[in-house]
Amino acid sequence: MMNFEFDLQSYTSRFKAWAQTFRGGITLVCLAGLMLFPLTGNEYLTQVLVTAMILAIFAASWDLLAGFAGQVSFGHAAFFGISGYFTAAMVKFAGMHWLVSVFVGAGWAVVFSLLIGIPCLRLKGPYLALGTLAFSLILWNLFLTGTWLGGTEGISGLPSTGSIFVAFYIIAAFMIGSLVLMRAIVDSRLGTILKSIRDDETCADASGIDTTVYKLIAFMISGFFAGISGALFVLDTTAVNPAVYQTLYSFYGIIMAAIGGMATIYGAIIGAFLFVILSELLRPLAAAALLIFATLLILIVRFAEEGVMNPFLDRVHDLWDMIRRR
Amino acid sequence: MIEEILIFGMVQGSLLALLAIGFSLVYGVGGILNLSHGAFYLITIYIIYWTIPIVGFWPAVAIGLVAVAGIAAVTYFGLLKPLQESHIGIVLVTFALAFFFEQFVKFFGDPKTHYIVPFVPGSVTFLGVTFPAQLIALVVGSLVLVSAVTLFINKSKIGKSIRAVSQDFEAAQLVGINTDMILMTTLVISALLVGAAAVLYAPGNFIAPRIGWRYLLLAFSVTIFGGMGSTTGSIFGAFIMGYATTITDFLISPTFSVIIPIVVILVMLLVRPQGLLGKKELW
Repeated sequence: MMNFEFDLQSYTSRFKAWAQTFRGGITLVCLAGLMLFPLTGNEYLTQVLVTAMILAIFAASWDLLAGFAGQVSFGHAAFFGISGYFTAAMVKFAGMHWLVSVFVGAGWAVVFSLLIGIPCLRLKGPYLALGTLAFSLILWNLFLTGTWLGGTEGISGLPSTGSIFVAFYIIAAFMIGSLVLMRAIVDSRLGTILKSIRDDETCADASGIDTTVYKLIAFMISGFFAGISGALFVLDTTAVNPAVYQTLYSFYGIIMAAIGGMATIYGAIIGAFLFVILSELLRPLAAAALLIFATLLILIVRFAEEGVMNPFLDRVHDLWDMIRRR
Repeated sequence: MIEEILIFGMVQGSLLALLAIGFSLVYGVGGILNLSHGAFYLITIYIIYWTIPIVGFWPAVAIGLVAVAGIAAVTYFGLLKPLQESHIGIVLVTFALAFFFEQFVKFFGDPKTHYIVPFVPGSVTFLGVTFPAQLIALVVGSLVLVSAVTLFINKSKIGKSIRAVSQDFEAAQLVGINTDMILMTTLVISALLVGAAAVLYAPGNFIAPRIGWRYLLLAFSVTIFGGMGSTTGSIFGAFIMGYATTITDFLISPTFSVIIPIVVILVMLLVRPQGLLGKKELW
C-alpha cells in the first residue's frame, strides 16, 4: 500500500511538471476544450468529433507499427474490419455486453495479426507490406462474394447508447487511454528496441535482439489497438458491412498519421482531427475530396516527412518564448 | 473438364506473366516496391477507354501505352528518386499514387463498371472448348512480349546494364552506368508490360476504378511465389499460379479461388521464403 502511494505521488508530481511545460500545457488546454465541447449541444459536430477520436486510435496504432518498428502495414483495415465484425456479431447474436465484445473483437484482431505476422515478419524486406495488403484485399472480396455474416449487407441494427453525448465521453476515455498506453509503450524499453530495429535491423540482430519476436509484438499491439478502434467504430455507427475492409480505411489511417507526423503517436490525434474536419469541409466536392487527399498524402510523404504537428508546435514555442522575454 | 483447365490455365498464366515480370524486375533492379503497379493497368485501360470514341481503337492503344510510359518516367524522377534513401517513403508514396489514380479515374470518369468491345471478334472452338478469340491474342501477345523482354534483358547493352545494376548498384555506378536512367528504363518497361496486359486482357472484360488493386495483388503473389527479382521465376510462377487458380475454379468453387493468392503468399513465405528461383539472402 505504501509502495502504491509513493508511486502515485511520483506520478502526480511528474504530471504537474509535465503540465507546466509548453507541450503539456497546450495538450491539457486542447483536451479541456475537447471535453467541454459537448456542452454546446451541437449533435452534428459532436458526431464528427466522435468519428475523429475513433480514427485517432486507428491512426496511432498504424503509427506505432510504421513509425517506431519501421514495418509498414497496408492492411490495417483488415484488423479494423475483423474486430468490427466480431464485435457486431457478438453484440447482435450472442447478446454480450458491448464493453466485453470490444475487447474480444480486438483479441481476434490480435489472433489474425499473428497469422499474418508470423510468415511475413520472419523475413527482412517488404513482405509485411505485401502480406497485409493482400490480406485486406482478400477479406474484402470474401465478404463481398460470400454469404456469411450478412453477406454484402453486413450486420446492422446494433443497439446504440441512445445519446451521442454519452458515447462522446466513453469514446474520449477510450482514446485518451489507448494513446497514453501506446505512448507509454514506445517510451519504454520495448519502444527503444523497436526503434533500433527500425533504424538498423541487421545491427539490432547483431546486438542480440530477437528481431522477429519484437516485430511480432509490435504488430500484435498495433493490431490490438486497430481492433479497438474498429469495434468502437462499428458500435458508434451501429452497423458493419464489407466496405470496412477496403483499402480506403488503411489509406485513412496512413494519411492521418502522415499529416500529424510519423513516430509521434500524439500526432495521430492532430492528424485525425484535421482530416475529419477537412473532409467535412470538402463534403460539397464529393468525389474530388479523396483525390485531394491522395494528392495531399503524396505531397506530405515527398516534401514534409515530419508532418504538421511538430514543426508547428516548434514555431509556436519559439513565438511564445519571444513574447515571454519581452 | 481437363481441356478447359488446360486452356483457361494457359490464359490465366499468360496474363499473370505479363503482370508479374515487370513488378519483379523493378523490385530486383532498384529494390523499389511499386505498389502503383496495378494502378498503371487501371490508368492505361481508362485512357484507352476514354480515347476510343475520339480516335478509334488502335490509336487509342498507342496513346494509352505512351501515356503510361510517360507516367512511369515522371513517377520515377518526381517521386521515387528523391525518396531513394527511405524505404518507408517509397512504399508509402507508391501506395498513395495507386490510390490517387483510382480516385482520378473515379473523379474524371465515373465509379460505374464499363465494357470494352474485344478487338478480336468472335469465338473459337479448340479441343471441344469454345472461348472468345480475344484470349488467343492474349496468349500469343503475352508469349511474344515475355520472350522479347527476356531477350532484351539477356542480350542487349541496356539489358546488361540493368543486370549490372541489379547485382551491385554502386559498382555499376563506378563503371559509368547511369543508374538513374537504368532504373527509369526498368520502371518504363514494367509499366509498358502491365499496359500491354491491360490492352490484351481488358477488352471483353469489365473495368471499374477499383480493379487496379486486384492486378497488383496478382502481380505480387506471383512474384513472391516465383522469387522476388527473378524474371524466370516469375514466368514459372505465373503459369503454376494460373493453373492452380483455374483448377480451383473448376473443381472447387470460384469463391474459393479468390483466396489462392494469400494462401500462396503465406505458404510460400513459411516454406521457401526466397521463392521458387529467388536469391537466398533473406534471413
